[in-house]
Amino acid sequence: MLDIRRISNSRWWHKKKNWLLFAIFLFLVFVRISKGAFYKDLYYFISKPFWPGQFQKEIVLESIHKENLIKLNLLKKDNTRLRRSLSIQESSNDYHISAAVISRKTGSWWRQIILNKGAKDGVEIGNIVIGPGGLLGRVKNTSFFTSSVTLITSPESKLGVWLDRIQINGLLVGVGDDYPSLILYSKDADIKVGDFVSSSPASTLLPPNIPIGIVQSIDETFKSKKTAKISLLAKPHVIDWVQILKAKIE
Amino acid sequence: MNKFFIKKLSLLSFIFIPIIFLWHPDWLGFLGVQPYWPLFWLLPWSILNGSINGLIFGLFLGLILDSLTLHDSFTQIPGLIFCGFLFGRIKLHSDILVGHFRYGLICSFGSFLCGTLNYFQILFRNFSDGNSLILISSVKNILAQVFLTGFFAPFICSQLIRMFKFSRRKLQ
Repeated sequence: MLDIRRISNSRWWHKKKNWLLFAIFLFLVFVRISKGAFYKDLYYFISKPFWPGQFQKEIVLESIHKENLIKLNLLKKDNTRLRRSLSIQESSNDYHISAAVISRKTGSWWRQIILNKGAKDGVEIGNIVIGPGGLLGRVKNTSFFTSSVTLITSPESKLGVWLDRIQINGLLVGVGDDYPSLILYSKDADIKVGDFVSSSPASTLLPPNIPIGIVQSIDETFKSKKTAKISLLAKPHVIDWVQILKAKIE
Repeated sequence: MNKFFIKKLSLLSFIFIPIIFLWHPDWLGFLGVQPYWPLFWLLPWSILNGSINGLIFGLFLGLILDSLTLHDSFTQIPGLIFCGFLFGRIKLHSDILVGHFRYGLICSFGSFLCGTLNYFQILFRNFSDGNSLILISSVKNILAQVFLTGFFAPFICSQLIRMFKFSRRKLQ
């Protein structure tokens, strides 16, 4: 009996060391099959702080940012002058309220964010909320300290939008996912992927020319209307700070 | 003071449901969807207090959560009332391990029920628009929610049941 136990204990699979070696062997096989992808990725993260040109890149980006700001201001002035001369409605963008996102429901049945500014800060129902990139939604409800915003991805959101390239108005409808649907009531509209969508000058809910998104895909023409999916420029699921725009729409 | 807190532990925990519902932590989500938080509280409460209590607190929960969300297209009240009533008919299982899995399955079923009711309400409301795209996102929402609710229920419900039982024992 004792002899049998001794023999069984001396089998190779009873030794931890052998298993360790086997694990290392498997790991090396994995590294070989993946052509070193694991190591390359690991190196990417380890070396990231030491990459050359990071500092330079920041300087270049800052310069580009300044240049863009100057250009933007010039264009704004031109735009205001032209709008006045053509008697087109103007937006008074002089009153912004900065607010932080304190609750966010962007992926489920509810598509809303709650901001840390409310009635006490002058936020009103119907105010426009914009984030880095463009339009996020409209204030639907305010409490004393907070305001709730219906995102443009919500099925309850329906907004008039403008396609600048083909000079046509459309309707942007949320369908409950991250890509709202653009409806054009003309089956001959020459819409293309990559077309830029902004708020419509004819809209009674939004000031004109607020960037919204880019046409991502075009659906098949259905009856007399054409629909397309829009990729939003402002990403509500990552934005932490927004601007509440108290614009008066004439 | 301490006695009061122990006595009212189950009701005090009720207050935290809307907070967690609003908190909506992204890192707990799956495909951007969160577990259906109210069911985690409603199941232990209904099991210990019966169908009528479950139904009433299902209504209360529905009312609070509806007030926190902006959606006019649907209400969570019918789903939560039905779940509250249904959960009240369930008895505790003697085997702890089986009980754990039961909580997961029951909560998954409850989440499916609430999600389907939400979807039908949205569909009924937007029926005239003929917007079939809502279907895809709704199915995604339901499935992700069912999975997450079932996944977290064994951990949370077991603890809540223990807490509520402890509170009741002190009460007696």
